[in-house]
Amino acid sequence: MSVLPSFEHLRPADLHEALDAISFDDPVYAGGTELLLAMRSGLLRPSSLIDIKRIPELDRIGQEDDDVVIGGTVSHAAATADPVVLSAAPVLPKVLAHVGNPRVRAFGTLGGNLCFAEPKSDVATILISLSADVELASKNGRRRLPVEDFIIGPYTTARNEGEILVSILIPPTADPMVYEKFQTMERPTVGVAARLLEDGSLRVVVGAVGGAPEPFDFSSVHEVNSGHIADRVEVIPDLTGSERYKRHVTRVVLGRTLAQLEGLA
Amino acid sequence: MNPVGVVTQVNGREIARSVPARMTLVEFLRDELGLTGTKVSCELQVCGVCTVLVDRKPVSSCAFLAVDIDGREVTTIEGVASDGKLHPIQQAFIDHFALQCGFCTPGFVMMAVALLEEVPQPTPEQVVSYLEGNICRCTGYRSILEAVLDAADRLERASP
Repeated sequence: MSVLPSFEHLRPADLHEALDAISFDDPVYAGGTELLLAMRSGLLRPSSLIDIKRIPELDRIGQEDDDVVIGGTVSHAAATADPVVLSAAPVLPKVLAHVGNPRVRAFGTLGGNLCFAEPKSDVATILISLSADVELASKNGRRRLPVEDFIIGPYTTARNEGEILVSILIPPTADPMVYEKFQTMERPTVGVAARLLEDGSLRVVVGAVGGAPEPFDFSSVHEVNSGHIADRVEVIPDLTGSERYKRHVTRVVLGRTLAQLEGLA
Repeated sequence: MNPVGVVTQVNGREIARSVPARMTLVEFLRDELGLTGTKVSCELQVCGVCTVLVDRKPVSSCAFLAVDIDGREVTTIEGVASDGKLHPIQQAFIDHFALQCGFCTPGFVMMAVALLEEVPQPTPEQVVSYLEGNICRCTGYRSILEAVLDAADRLERASP
């Protein structure tokens, strides 16, 4: 008895081969934590899966110029345990340590998390607050764009057919940062990232309540009004709550986040 | 569809098979190898019942392809006891009555094995956090927590 539809499994040896093999019907396969579920539910019926997990250059964490570079197939658990990630963005391992459950973290990849663009992704929200970029490779070359522009909406990214997310690039920061979420099910109802920048300005990113994480910028901490953000943020009612409930919880979690940030600053 | 060659070790035993790409790991374990100790429930990676270890890391075998164990080693609940003697975690589950119907137990035991290898002396909060993705519908969580903490102590006493 098989629960998945049939497909071919291809294991390209390097990125070049992988780029030759992928197409809309032949998607990239890494951790599989979202893809296999989408296939089981009948949402996707790929003719083959292009398994990029064993391509060494995609599974590396390193430094390039000033940025920390996390390869597209690095797992949540590997990034959480990495000293380079910890020193460059101490908030990130704390967030990653609470994504999904230990099984999802052990095999689910950061690149896959972003490409799937699940609206309740903690990872997208914190990476936007870190001003992280993604690098995409295709047969025609590479391009780099902010995670904020990469995530377009629910399950929708700026990735074109034929492109593979090869790395996530994070500029190191010592800015005080806090991530708080409220969660009663497998995924958060709301996740809030707040960052106090060197010039005294503040960036708040609200995730999970709407279709994509939404950033709000303020010139100083004194200008932030949790109620105002909670009223303005895009909210989509779903199983984690009605619109009214989600706006309320957003305001509460924003309050907690900002109080914690004040303690750090 | 072309079958894929898989060479692996399951509970220390060398196994070479040809499997369809779409075969999940739990289908491979239960249907191909007859290892029915691993159960399946939610098939969404949220209940933890089907947990096994791949290269000592926990996975939901319901949402993991059998082709991905090629070159890796798998440990299932059948491979936890040794020499006819229960693993200290299994014994602690019995001593603390940490199971009622027992359906979730293989998954909890495998998660506990993975946790105690990573963190040999966890705090109660660490155990709760690690086991958050495992569901017991007989609501035996308190006794499961006690069993895992006690197993950590037993393992520490047993190691020189």
